[in-house]
Amino acid sequence: MPEAFTIPAARGAALEAIGLSKRFGAFQALDRVSLKVPAGEFHALLGENGAGKSTLVKCLMGFHRADEGEVLLDGREARIRNPREAQALGLGMVYQHFTLVPSLTGAENLVIARRNAPAVIDWAAERRRLDAFLDRTPFRVPLDRNVGALSAGERQKLEILKLLYLDQRFMILDEPTSVLTPAEADEMLGHLKAMAERGEITVLMITHKFREVKAFADAVTILRHGRIAGSGRGLTTREMAAMMVGEAPGPDKGKAVQPLRREMPRSHEPALELAGLFAEDGDGRPALRGVSLKVAAGEIVGLAGVSGNGQNALVEACCGQRPLTDGQIFVNGRDFVPTRRAFDEAGMFVVPEEPLRNAAVFGMSIADNIAFRRFEKPPLSRRGWWLDRRAISAAGRELMARFRVAGPSPDAPIGALSGGNVQRAVLARELSSERISVLVVANPCFGLDFASAADIRARIVEARNNGAAVLLVSEDLDEVLELADTVAVISNGRITYKAPIAHVDRGSLGVYLAGGSDG
Amino acid sequence: MRGADELRRAAEFVVVPALALAISAAIFSAILLAMGQSPAAFFQLLWRGAFGTAFSWQNTLQRAAPLILTALCVALPARAGLMIIGGEGAFVMGGLAAATAALPLLGWAPAPLVLLLMAIAGTAAGALWIGLVGVLRHRRGVNETIASLLLAYIAVAVLSFLVEGPLRDPASPNKPSTHPIGAETMLGPIPGTSVHWGLVAGLIACLAAHVLISRTTTGFAIRIAGGNPHAALGQGLPVGRLLVLCCLLAGAAAGLAGFFDVATVHGAANVSLVAGYGFTGILVSFLARHNALAIPPVAILFGGLSAAGGLIQRRLGLPDATVALLEGVIFVTLLTSETLYGRFAIFQPRGARQRP
Amino acid sequence: MTDAGLFAVLVAMVAGAIRVSTPFLFVSLGECLTEKSGRVNLGLEGTLVLGAMVAFAVSYHSGNPWLGVAAAAAAGFALGALHGAICRLPRVNDVAIGIAMMSFGTGLAVFLGKPYIQPTAPRLPSLPLGDWLGIPSLALALDVSPLFLLGIALAFLLDWAFRNTRAGLVVRVTGDDAAAARALGIAVDRVRLVATALGGASAGIGGAFLSLFYPGSWNEGLSSGQGLMAVALVIFARWQPRRCLAASLLFGAAGALGPALQSIGITAGYYFFNAAPYILTLLVMAGTGSASRAARHAPGELSITR
Repeated sequence: MPEAFTIPAARGAALEAIGLSKRFGAFQALDRVSLKVPAGEFHALLGENGAGKSTLVKCLMGFHRADEGEVLLDGREARIRNPREAQALGLGMVYQHFTLVPSLTGAENLVIARRNAPAVIDWAAERRRLDAFLDRTPFRVPLDRNVGALSAGERQKLEILKLLYLDQRFMILDEPTSVLTPAEADEMLGHLKAMAERGEITVLMITHKFREVKAFADAVTILRHGRIAGSGRGLTTREMAAMMVGEAPGPDKGKAVQPLRREMPRSHEPALELAGLFAEDGDGRPALRGVSLKVAAGEIVGLAGVSGNGQNALVEACCGQRPLTDGQIFVNGRDFVPTRRAFDEAGMFVVPEEPLRNAAVFGMSIADNIAFRRFEKPPLSRRGWWLDRRAISAAGRELMARFRVAGPSPDAPIGALSGGNVQRAVLARELSSERISVLVVANPCFGLDFASAADIRARIVEARNNGAAVLLVSEDLDEVLELADTVAVISNGRITYKAPIAHVDRGSLGVYLAGGSDG
Repeated sequence: MRGADELRRAAEFVVVPALALAISAAIFSAILLAMGQSPAAFFQLLWRGAFGTAFSWQNTLQRAAPLILTALCVALPARAGLMIIGGEGAFVMGGLAAATAALPLLGWAPAPLVLLLMAIAGTAAGALWIGLVGVLRHRRGVNETIASLLLAYIAVAVLSFLVEGPLRDPASPNKPSTHPIGAETMLGPIPGTSVHWGLVAGLIACLAAHVLISRTTTGFAIRIAGGNPHAALGQGLPVGRLLVLCCLLAGAAAGLAGFFDVATVHGAANVSLVAGYGFTGILVSFLARHNALAIPPVAILFGGLSAAGGLIQRRLGLPDATVALLEGVIFVTLLTSETLYGRFAIFQPRGARQRP
Repeated sequence: MTDAGLFAVLVAMVAGAIRVSTPFLFVSLGECLTEKSGRVNLGLEGTLVLGAMVAFAVSYHSGNPWLGVAAAAAAGFALGALHGAICRLPRVNDVAIGIAMMSFGTGLAVFLGKPYIQPTAPRLPSLPLGDWLGIPSLALALDVSPLFLLGIALAFLLDWAFRNTRAGLVVRVTGDDAAAARALGIAVDRVRLVATALGGASAGIGGAFLSLFYPGSWNEGLSSGQGLMAVALVIFARWQPRRCLAASLLFGAAGALGPALQSIGITAGYYFFNAAPYILTLLVMAGTGSASRAARHAPGELSITR
């Protein structure tokens, strides 16, 4: 019989992290972060994308090893070298993605997760024990059905049940409610809160939702740029938002690129109009739930949002990589169906995130990849069918120089380039056209150093100054605020906020980012 | 600097397969020694039977011809990211359609016209057969590997049904066949040789496939769609249509091979068409790394192995399956050697090593 | 058609279903196990033929057909292990290796089997399950091989093991989600290696049936592609061992229908009955192809169902 059942009153542990630091190359992901979670506490960890939350919990769970600092578990120093050691010490984690095996039933998932599962499983006995175990938890999940057939809420409950079943009573939850309805989320968090109050578990929850923090957390720690931005009990939404997104930028920072930006005559007709877009994710769940947005020529609409709120689906829907279940896209007033001719005639260009995965062919050369938009046109081909490989190579060389793509030669495979250079090569392709009417860009500077990011942002503004309608989808709020004429927020597949940049204040924007309502 | 890098990469494509062939030879020598045979004598005879004389060369090329075309049936879709393993079906349907198309013309139409129509019918039948696989993939999401395999079996059943039923020539009691097209209609060999024209067709088809893939805009689009379908959609490319196009061309190549088998060897459609050319073609294409220009040499290598079988059997008293076993050993070791690419630092471009 | 004719056809179908289905059963159960672990083995045709040859040779030399069956299983195990060992190397294509292994296995069998084409070896005994009926034709049909019963037992055993043993669950986890399997501490490659080897052993036994029971002799054209079609059969059976049994009987009966009809003078459509299972499988795939993976019941890691 596993330990979980022999110790009826297992206790949640206390955890303390002291001065954790972690560098990835030149990037300081964590900078002397300290955190104290007493036994039985429900502790929330807040922060924007890239603030260091994931790095912190991965250091606690042994996925990463901190460069400096130490971790105390119930007051004793714990050296956690890998996730298995963390689990043995009673630390468990629920990830944003599910880790249950979809074709197994709930009961099978639980039993196989056990280190000491018997060679032949006596299901009658196992079921008796599982039922007894379930009786001591507040969660009700059908254990006889395949996990793949469960709802997201049931699966998430089962993930938590698995931690309890394995006696991992310090629970790290990474945005556990992102896939749940508000009612499901409240039910689940309510149960966890009650268990924490009884001292049965300790919870450290990463979240973006202030509502959940206020309703369930005893204490909160806020990270920003790898450092503690604040912590405490009973903070107001405004206080938390201010800590999370930082102070309003100083006058000089906000104006850094302003001189680049020309006043544009506003046309009344939008160059890009998204009209009630609906789309599903890979598993058939709704990803876009009626996105409507207009972008005028010479305007940058910066679409902010916490990752996973439909941004991917939106960009993919715009460029034909994901079918729409409903809605229409208009470019220059005409219905846009993403065929090659339509892209060309509309002057529509797209720079998706992770370009090597979404917009490039690994095995083809840099020059070939740069030629994707116009390979069937002169001078890259003759009479529309015969490729001029020399011209493609020459055009690639020229654009590599113009967009500062550092690579061995235009004929080298693009897969040999670094991430930043792939990004520049794709930008060279999408931004080098004479007439860009619509430009959709997603997280263009993700993971790039400061100089490259500034260069790429300047080019996006340049496209806008030349009259392009730019939809900038970014999870970096600073980037949105720096570049956008109009700021919008996407949350749970819907546009929940839209205002001209002059009317935007960071604090209230933070609230919209964190769940849409001003709770 | 760049030239040196390219030389290194090219050397890798020579050294790795050569190493694999050497290992195959070593394994096979061990088998021969275990059977009390001399490996030296075996490989000497193998060389003589495959490439040693003008006669053996012709025999080799004759056997390589259908392999070239059926290998193309794998290589073209592979460039579009599809794994088709049912070239056998297109080959059979091509031969059957060619033989059937000749039936109403025999006796009155001139031989060149009959042959032309046969070639068209065979090519079209093969194209439709594999094209169906592409359509099923595109429209219904059916896995092309399994669909093409199933269709290969269905093709053999269609052939058996027709040659034993409606199309059976009453004069073929022992081996049910369609009505023979007759010696006067059959396609003769290339003048001065005993090699049939399928070899020329295969070489032309390989050249055409190479030009299509690497020199035309359509081929460029196919490479994008095959390399990253998601990115291809983002470029507005008609990915589904490109896939179906590749399948059609692939099937056409195998169907053409079927036509040549009927027009030059059998003179009629019967179960002799089911000789496994489609399956060997898969391996030829893989060993050529789906590169159309590399297909003929690989096909000739395997054509040579099977051509030498008879000589080895007669001289050494070994079973005629000896070369089949050798082929199997080579297939397995060569495909396994794929894992060696990129493992040897000496072949890596110098520039790539300092990449950030 | 007279009642007697109908009866004759039915009896012939039952007999055919039992006889023809046995090799199908063993290769499909083997393939099912392999695919459940997330790997495809297209080379079972070679395993089947090699199994047939080895079983015949060992039975011939030892005089004990059961030793032949064991040797066939061992030979299949070895080929499967080789396939599994090669496929775990990076950049090696499992479909191509499968076809190469088919070529290798067949080549090896034909090469080594040359001396065994003429002689006769002790065959497996049969169990007269239908004698008590007193109808000679039915008694003949029910004169089944113990291997057939063993296959049925294996189907139920696999079905039970997938649900009720740790090993079975480990195989299913590995086939459905390799990342989750690694998180559970499962050595994914090793599980697949063992599953492929055991799958090969099962296919080898299928080969032993061919050479030691029906048709009961060894020659090069012994197999009519049962090994290659195992993949289709497993898809048709939705990766469930008990349905593999049903599908094998169906494939066997379809194969037997043609000759049965021929025996009472109906010759049309002979080959279409042979092809019917393949057409049916294709239709099933086209019907469910665009549906979600969950609806297809396919192991998530399988390359051929993506």
